[in-house]
Amino acid sequence: MTKQWLYVLLAGIIEVLWVIGLKHASNFWEWTGTVVCILLSFYLMMQASKHLPVGTVYALFVGIGSTGTVIADMLFFGEPFRLAKVVLITLLLAGVIGLKLVTGDNRKEESM
Amino acid sequence: MAWIVLIIAGLFEVFGVTMINKVNDKPTAANISLFILGFAGSFGCLSYSMASLPMGTAYAIWTGIGTAGGAIVGMLFFRESKDWKRIICIAMILAAAVGLKLIA
Repeated sequence: MTKQWLYVLLAGIIEVLWVIGLKHASNFWEWTGTVVCILLSFYLMMQASKHLPVGTVYALFVGIGSTGTVIADMLFFGEPFRLAKVVLITLLLAGVIGLKLVTGDNRKEESM
Repeated sequence: MAWIVLIIAGLFEVFGVTMINKVNDKPTAANISLFILGFAGSFGCLSYSMASLPMGTAYAIWTGIGTAGGAIVGMLFFRESKDWKRIICIAMILAAAVGLKLIA
């Protein structure tokens, strides 16, 4: 169970790397690294979705990716630090933690 | 035109997310190909629409359609939990992700 959440987290972090790669890659090796990151992040997401609902996994994947990209832009690429970003990141983290709490050990509901 | 392509990009993404479900059920070559096709089509249409639409807006709408659509398809067709607490959490993540893309 927890292992699946680590997979999603890792998939999201690697997503940040390939988003940076798509924006900034300029030579063969950087592009190769970007493609490897895309494949790896999707692979990890697929692994996680074997035991967690796909809707949950995809929302987490997208959420972690967006947050990480915004943080990386502020830390490493000189984007302005804005309070609105911090508020949204906090909202997103609250959603992630909430999702972790409400997602039970059983993967899907037995009845519709 | 760019807006229509953007919506198609979102639909391709929903299709790709749906195929993750299918691949998990049955990892056949056909399902894996459709999964790759879904995301390839989605990225292709997204980058086409970004040529004429503002990047943040295009990215936000694309994320919104894909994530909400993926969650709805999961609940309707793949027996994922329809617990209101789960829906609220996904909506919070979605709102924050779309917001971040709009202001970034």
